[in-house]
Amino acid sequence: MFAAWNPSQPEISDLIIQHDPVTLERLPVRKDDVRSVFAKLGNRQAVKVIDALPNRNGVLDPAAIDKLFVVVHSEMQRLAEEFYHGGRVWELLQAVIAAIRATCAAHNERLRVVDIGCGIGYTVRWLAARTPLAAQGVDLVGMDLNSALIKEAGRLARAENLPCRFVHGDAFSPANSGHIYLSTGVLHHFRGHDLASFFRRHELPETQAFLYYDFQPSFLAAPGSWFFHVVRMRTGLARHDGVLSAVRVHSAETLVSTARDASPGFASGMYGRKIWRTPLPRVFHTLVGIRRPLIPEFRRALGHRIGRLDELA
Amino acid sequence: MTLLALYLLATLDGALCGFRAFAGRSALIYKRMYYTRAMIRGVVSAQVASFLSLFVLLLTAALSQHRAELHADLESTAGRMLWVFLPYAAAVLINIALRALPSTDIRASTSVMVLGPLTGLRPFVMIAGVVYGVWSANLLETKLLGILVLVGMLSLETLLNRIAARMQERDLASAS
Repeated sequence: MFAAWNPSQPEISDLIIQHDPVTLERLPVRKDDVRSVFAKLGNRQAVKVIDALPNRNGVLDPAAIDKLFVVVHSEMQRLAEEFYHGGRVWELLQAVIAAIRATCAAHNERLRVVDIGCGIGYTVRWLAARTPLAAQGVDLVGMDLNSALIKEAGRLARAENLPCRFVHGDAFSPANSGHIYLSTGVLHHFRGHDLASFFRRHELPETQAFLYYDFQPSFLAAPGSWFFHVVRMRTGLARHDGVLSAVRVHSAETLVSTARDASPGFASGMYGRKIWRTPLPRVFHTLVGIRRPLIPEFRRALGHRIGRLDELA
Repeated sequence: MTLLALYLLATLDGALCGFRAFAGRSALIYKRMYYTRAMIRGVVSAQVASFLSLFVLLLTAALSQHRAELHADLESTAGRMLWVFLPYAAAVLINIALRALPSTDIRASTSVMVLGPLTGLRPFVMIAGVVYGVWSANLLETKLLGILVLVGMLSLETLLNRIAARMQERDLASAS
């Protein structure tokens, strides 16, 4: 079990789907290649999960992997529902939108909110279903490099007539860039220099803010996540990667210092690290990045929640 | 009365098992009807388990040569089980009620700190309740009936999970 908690290893889901970085075309993945990564680390839990994955002539079956990802993401949505994640995003997002609208007249008509690595699009669909954003002219877009998840997100949105859309592609490309970027549980997938490279890409003229949610590291994160995944999750992949996610997360200090260095056009800081004024950590914390002229209105729009915001610099 | 209380607890447990078995299998946003149907399936399954137990109990009573003693033994056994099951059920219901409070932190905390662990404890609470109940039972029939009830309740969630998995599989197949 503890080899599965080694934060230096990738998650299984990082390896079993590979895309060409330029064309985004799906690449074949050899099962033995993935297996050997975890076998070398003595991670028998991961090896067991990989052994159970269907393959054809040693290459992972893309259709079966896609189906597994949809099942896993449905399970992950259940956790997001239990944590009231949609409401937490809305709490901050409405303050950011109010600040943009009060400060930049140019953005009063059409704002685009882009959820990076949206998976099956829970956050975007929740915002479309439960908030007035779409009626106010805000374009809600979910983006992911995984075409199967994007297809499922689109299907779910259509099934409930939700005013949002999902795009398979690069969230920072000129055609898809957003005024506000969101993500949930994505930042810890960027390791080493990739994290700084990710933040560097935010320096687009139209981009005004980013709100990135991820697990908060704490002494309770690994055992708590392990227990919760054993109780709540059904697939071996979700149980393995969910716990590994919780131990691989970046500290608030790493996130803030990297964001400040790599995207100096934004003031960055953490939001919602503690439950009320107690020392108890929230499961998720949020990295907030916002253009400096927006800060006064953003702080005003936060109202009584201003105490949850650390220093923005 | 104690048997009725056990029956009601089994029905409640069935509803919650139904909810859990179907949770995480539909990624829609509006799911009130979905969960209502899931809980009804759980309640119906609990009725099947309860009435099967009742049928075996009545059959045992009909064949028993000491019916009055069996009745008293069953009542006292069920009463002991309630000492374990009622506090557990109260803890679950209080935490579900706390989710009505308008605080996302409190509502999420009920999941993380209480309802999640209570779900993990459920099989152990079932076993502890039945063992505590039948430990002091006088008649073999009572002990066997207790074990039958335990098997029924422990099988309930597995059965519901299988039904939910099959329905999810069907939904995924029709979507692709």
